[in-house]
Amino acid sequence: MTRIRKPHLLAGAALTALMPLSAAAQTELTLWHMEQPPHRVERVQTLLDEFNESHPDIVVKQEPQNWGEVYAKAPAALAAGVGPDMLFAIPDFTPILKSVGALTSVQDFVEELDGEHDFIDSAVEAYSYDDGIWAVPLYNMSMNLWYRPSVLDAAGVAVPTTWEEWAAAAETLTADGAYGMGLPANKQLYTDQTVYSVMANGGASEIYNEDGTLRFDNPETVEAYTFYNDMLQFSPPDAPSWTWGEAEACFASASCGMILQFSVISTYDTQAEGDAADLGVAAIPSKDSEGHNTIAYANAVMLLSQDEEKMEASKTFVRWLLQPENYGRFLNMEPGLFMPVTADGAKADSFWSDPMVEKYKPQIETVIENSQNGMLFGFTSGRVFPAIAAISAQNVLAETLQAIAINGKDPAEAVAAGQARMMDLTD
Amino acid sequence: MKLPRTLLPYAFIGPAILFLAALLVWPLVQAVVLSLQDVRSVGTTGKWVGLDNYREVLTDGTFWSSTWLSLVWVVTNAVLQTVLALLAALALNQNFPGVRIARTWIVLTWIIPTVVVVMIWRWLFSTSGGIVNPLLIQAGIIDRPVGFFARPNTAFATLVFINSWRWFPFITLMMLAGLTRIPGDLYEAARIDGAGPWKRFSRITWPLLAPTLGVLLVIGTLLSFNVFDIIWLMTSGGPAGGTRTLPVLIYETAFKSYRMSEAAAVAVLATLFLMGFAVVATRWLARPPEAR
Repeated sequence: MTRIRKPHLLAGAALTALMPLSAAAQTELTLWHMEQPPHRVERVQTLLDEFNESHPDIVVKQEPQNWGEVYAKAPAALAAGVGPDMLFAIPDFTPILKSVGALTSVQDFVEELDGEHDFIDSAVEAYSYDDGIWAVPLYNMSMNLWYRPSVLDAAGVAVPTTWEEWAAAAETLTADGAYGMGLPANKQLYTDQTVYSVMANGGASEIYNEDGTLRFDNPETVEAYTFYNDMLQFSPPDAPSWTWGEAEACFASASCGMILQFSVISTYDTQAEGDAADLGVAAIPSKDSEGHNTIAYANAVMLLSQDEEKMEASKTFVRWLLQPENYGRFLNMEPGLFMPVTADGAKADSFWSDPMVEKYKPQIETVIENSQNGMLFGFTSGRVFPAIAAISAQNVLAETLQAIAINGKDPAEAVAAGQARMMDLTD
Repeated sequence: MKLPRTLLPYAFIGPAILFLAALLVWPLVQAVVLSLQDVRSVGTTGKWVGLDNYREVLTDGTFWSSTWLSLVWVVTNAVLQTVLALLAALALNQNFPGVRIARTWIVLTWIIPTVVVVMIWRWLFSTSGGIVNPLLIQAGIIDRPVGFFARPNTAFATLVFINSWRWFPFITLMMLAGLTRIPGDLYEAARIDGAGPWKRFSRITWPLLAPTLGVLLVIGTLLSFNVFDIIWLMTSGGPAGGTRTLPVLIYETAFKSYRMSEAAAVAVLATLFLMGFAVVATRWLARPPEAR
């Protein structure tokens, strides 16, 4: 039998005794995000593993959530004391959590990060209201018009830049079982986004007057809804039940000639031809070709922990994530979809050296260019109207479209009813 | 200490009653209290508003249209599921090769998780790659693809079909249990007396299966009324509110409109309705068959 020396025994005992202490000294953080596709979850996990390894005192674990449910789940979880320490957000989500007292301003932290990485101003503005900044911007998304150049060429159609050209192109492409333009009409966030993209290109980007009163009910909005409803005749008949996935599937299967989507690169590359030369992206056509707008979201992360140690650990994680060598890999969890919100991130090798980004570089450059004209309802002209949260949560833009497209209501009446509904919700 | 004999039964059922009270009555009381306040979001407090929420709900057209949809949902599901289950149970009550395998496999649709059911049917009915539209076109039933979830009526009918497809095996098993309890010699005697298949069904099977059907009516109504998952995942109550039954309305009001108290009021009203139905149905079932 091997004899164990006394000092070794003591050292072993001391080590065993200290192990729980070192485990207890770790700060555990829970991150909720809504990037559910498996490849995005995998990329986030890779980054978390790297962070956890380089920061032995902090352990970050992810719990992917669903955009459809998180508006309800997060306040409930936080009220029950089982909420996350960090939660991804779009601008209209923050007023909801702020209203239940779950948010504290991270203005000092954002200013510190801005000094180091230089945030795009509009990304920060969307989260700046009520004398605070309520989330740290992480990535930008903007909607674009996607098409196949070969399909348009075969039909003798040019890439549309005006509503008139757009409708004509959609009509021409609607033939032989294919549909010219895939547009959703579901009462869902995707429809809010496409409807607003059309509104923003028809001079109806402002939902609020400067004094905070609603101006949704105006002739430009009615015209935008009328146009959208007309375009629906060139969409597949099940478009009223679509979310983002169905639109991408329609494009990937070549059933839809054109669609409005943030990005189709990943789906096109893995489920369709994957021919970079035959994937086109353009700005969303405008009513009269004078300037093209689009809906754009600066996604952010809310730091929710009330515990000082956890809050500090959360900041350490965000600092690490925004470092250019990590940030590009984070954005490329879905190449072509998530755009940088920092100046050094936009130049980062980690962003541009991704094989998919290299392959679809012209498309991604166009997406970045289009995103310069991005705007978001309730967050326009440098003003933020937190009451938009309730309007967005109820998908009133989409609901108004359904009143026209499904119930056959007159667009002017539907828009007036939409404004009344918004007033009721923000009451 | 010796417990008086009259109190002994209460001592036995006491823990069970306390357990039920904690699990059922307490949340219900909480819901009633919540419905009398004006709480908006989860985790916030509200002030006492008495019956205002009930007044608001009962004068809102959405509540009544959802109530109507819930009733239509229950009736259409009951009819379709009963017909499907009866046919399946009668078939499975016969002796044919593979009947045991068929009896086992019929529960397959019932044991598949709801999310999977939703994914399967969404893609089957999709116009981009779904198989239902091409099959119907090939069969000459339709001449162009149909958006099954695009119109309120078709969405509702499609949901009834999917929900019935999912639940009828459960009812089939219950009916099958009822059928196996019918003595075989009754059929034998009827056959000797010259009764045909229809007469044997209408004079033996149906009357003797009626008690089972009665119980199924009560359970099925309560289960159908409360179906939320399949509707929410498939249509979220749309299009244009065409599938917004009461459970969907409660969820929307609570977690989309952030009106917890108003949602609680709808929930309390729905509970009262269901309790009323359960009491009437249970009393009816407790009567002797000839008094029904």
